[in-house]
Amino acid sequence: MNNTLLSITIALLFGIGTFMILRKDIIKIVLGMTILSHSANLLIFSSGITGGKTVPIITEEIAQHTTGIIFTDDLVNGILAPIVPEGTEMLFVDPMVQALTLTAIVISLATTSFLLILSYRVYKEHNTTDVSKVRRLRG
Amino acid sequence: MDNFTAIALAVFLPFALAFVLPLVEKLLKGYIGWYAFSVALLSFGLIAWVLPVISDGDTIQGSIRWLPSLSIDLSFYADGLSTMFGLIVSGIGMMILWYSNGYMSKKEDLPRYYQQLLFFMGAMLGMVFSANTLQLFIFWELTSITSFMLIGYWRNKPASIYGATKSLLLTAGGGLFMLAGFILLRSITGSFELATLLHDPAAIASLKTDPLFLTTLILIIIGAAAKSAQGPFYIWLPNAMEAPTPVSGFLHSATMVKAGIYLLARIHPLFSGTEAWFIIVSGLGIFTMLLAGFLAFRQTDIKAILAYSTISQLAYMFTMYGYTTYHEPGIGVAAATFHLLNHATFKACLFLVAGIVAHEAATRDIRKLGGLRKEMPITFIIATIAALSMIGIPPLNGFLSKEMFYETSLEMGHLLGGVFTYLIPAAALLGGVFTFAYSVKFIDGIFLGERKKEHLPEHIHDPSFNMLAPAGLLAGLVVLIGLFPSVAVHYLIEPATEGILLENVDLHVKLWHGFTTPLIMTIITLILGILVYTKYDDIGERQDKMNVRYPWLSINYFYDMIVDGAKNKSSVFAAFMQPGPVKPYLVSLIVLFIVLGAIPTFFVTATLIPANLNFNIPLYEGIILGLVIISAIATAVLRKYLQAVIAVSALGYLVSLIYIYLQAPDLAITQILVETLFTIIFVLVIVKIPQTFKETISTPVMIKDLTISAAVALTVLVLSLNVNQGIVAPFESLSYYFIENSVSLAAGHNIVNVILVDFRAYDTLGEIVVLCLAAFGVSNLIKSGVERK
Repeated sequence: MNNTLLSITIALLFGIGTFMILRKDIIKIVLGMTILSHSANLLIFSSGITGGKTVPIITEEIAQHTTGIIFTDDLVNGILAPIVPEGTEMLFVDPMVQALTLTAIVISLATTSFLLILSYRVYKEHNTTDVSKVRRLRG
Repeated sequence: MDNFTAIALAVFLPFALAFVLPLVEKLLKGYIGWYAFSVALLSFGLIAWVLPVISDGDTIQGSIRWLPSLSIDLSFYADGLSTMFGLIVSGIGMMILWYSNGYMSKKEDLPRYYQQLLFFMGAMLGMVFSANTLQLFIFWELTSITSFMLIGYWRNKPASIYGATKSLLLTAGGGLFMLAGFILLRSITGSFELATLLHDPAAIASLKTDPLFLTTLILIIIGAAAKSAQGPFYIWLPNAMEAPTPVSGFLHSATMVKAGIYLLARIHPLFSGTEAWFIIVSGLGIFTMLLAGFLAFRQTDIKAILAYSTISQLAYMFTMYGYTTYHEPGIGVAAATFHLLNHATFKACLFLVAGIVAHEAATRDIRKLGGLRKEMPITFIIATIAALSMIGIPPLNGFLSKEMFYETSLEMGHLLGGVFTYLIPAAALLGGVFTFAYSVKFIDGIFLGERKKEHLPEHIHDPSFNMLAPAGLLAGLVVLIGLFPSVAVHYLIEPATEGILLENVDLHVKLWHGFTTPLIMTIITLILGILVYTKYDDIGERQDKMNVRYPWLSINYFYDMIVDGAKNKSSVFAAFMQPGPVKPYLVSLIVLFIVLGAIPTFFVTATLIPANLNFNIPLYEGIILGLVIISAIATAVLRKYLQAVIAVSALGYLVSLIYIYLQAPDLAITQILVETLFTIIFVLVIVKIPQTFKETISTPVMIKDLTISAAVALTVLVLSLNVNQGIVAPFESLSYYFIENSVSLAAGHNIVNVILVDFRAYDTLGEIVVLCLAAFGVSNLIKSGVERK
């Protein structure tokens, strides 16, 4: 995938998410948080896609370091999902960022659900979804 | 049972039995005090059981494995000094707990009271038997904390809160200085082990020549002085009198305030014999002795008189421990140690009397009390014995140690020569005169003179047996030690002195040893005391006037200024930091993110946007990413919640498409599942609330928010571009390890799964915990009723 375009997309998502969490409408804030977590996940995930054409990934050093199995992120070299077939040497995308992102996705489900129910509760208590009307948050 | 087990049990049993105290209380109800009393009795018995070994000059040492990986053990060391302290703590503890049965009303929160007293006793015993400085520090602070809780026992009284806070700030704060001193001591001598240090002449010699010797000494002495209310730190003790009277008698006269004295005695072999030791310790002592004795005159609360007297008497001990630098140390140390024991008996007794008076006459104001001798004859006799002992009248125990104090002061003055020949004995004499005056005031003000009918209840009588007996026993002890000092000296004072000086001592304390100079000094004390006493109230009034005219003369003035200032400033700061609405918090967080995100990136890469960007975009990639952006904008723009939710779901499924495209099947599956669940939850929620909300955004707000959002987007763009160029990646990826070992170590072919459930299983566990907490939170938010509309 084109790294530059992906970066621009992630950046735009961050901007939109930020704008939304600055609103007064609590549901829009929750939606903004959702967009922010999508973009954060994509940012972590894309950080595994180093290189492209500018940085050589499979250096001598890495080839020596790894015994038998190596991985690359370079789309040109025909990458595969990080699943090791029996007894073959293969090239992979970076599995670690995938593991990190997977954890992040699940956690964002937990936090967003909590936020949603919290906003429901705020509406029940204050009869409004406008956070600027909720004055009990004062320090 | 061996001796070490006895000591360890004496320390641990109070803790263990205090933990189950609330359960026992369910059975015993109002008789729970007797349970606490038996715990103290048990500890006392265990320590007394090892006393024969100790008084033969042996020591007991041992340790229990605690944190072997950090090579920290619980180690205990019992010698004459710690055993004497242990007996005082558990013995006075017994008396106090007995007395509490009569003193504390059954309506009070008895489990909390007794539990904290037992915790305190355990902490105190743990401290005196600690064999290393870190353990000593932990128990030391534990006594400060239990003292804090007991002073604040009546939680709703502002004076209790003030006194408790003050004592915690000063004693626990002083403890931190002491800890710093211990760490310095460790860096100089290489050991936290007190027991080994004391018997290591080479280490002691290297300590005394070290350039950091003075710093170490001062830090530790600050801890000791704060705890024993010496020097400027004395101010917490009078306010601590807000505690229930048995607590004051136990913690704030007989035991906890002596922890500083214990520390002085314990570190005596390490630091004594130097000029700094004499100047700091004795200087602090003489200053405090005179100041506190003098300030006692203006006190009207009978407990406050006793508090100032305690400060002054503790200062005697400080003074004498300091003397050892110059003269033959045996007498001074023995005198201080003896006085410590005697003070514990007569002062605890006086506090019990003060408690009795407050209990029966319902006031502690000495101006309202008077003439109670006929109504409370037994209390009167007990109080008189204890007060006379404090003055130093033969044949009571206070006389013996007071004589020894005069004797050491005379010798000290003689050794220093010059003007000190007279100054030091004169200071001691003046301390004695003050003691005479406030002791007489205590008896005169309460029991003698006219009965002030208008302030006192009609019927006042001696208290119940449970309150009278412990006070009587202590008074009996005062007489017994005075008449037969050799028993106490042989079993307690000699071993304790040996423990301090680490050499054999042979002490002879006799009631009558001829017509000596100290005896003449005692007589002078009495004569001067009577003269001063005739002016007692005048002096007190003058002090009051001075205090009104020059408030800055008092240390309390500065304490209040600092504490109130800190409170006011922090509330101003808090109001600034927490204005209320959520938005300012968010904005400040976002700005922080921009600063922390953009600036380091620039420093690492030296350029914000990499030069060789690839703008060769395949059509299908462009379509997917374009749809992502469109759905995000739609989410932001669409007014109706349902439409916005549909847009955000579209975004989620598009993101999973990106994952599929970029060879991440696990992520794609998870994302689709999560997105589906999320959409269902969202719809469930929004049917319960209004379908839309119209927010009108004013132009300035819009400009401000758009600027912030654009700045965030730019920061992320810079970060992402640099990361994707492989520029901000100075470290070798961990991924190689996972790829290499996933089949061989974890027998899994899907590396992502192996990482999640095997290599980084703890992360996944944390993730599950987050899910559980969120589920609990959600279910509680739904279930619990609406409190306010």
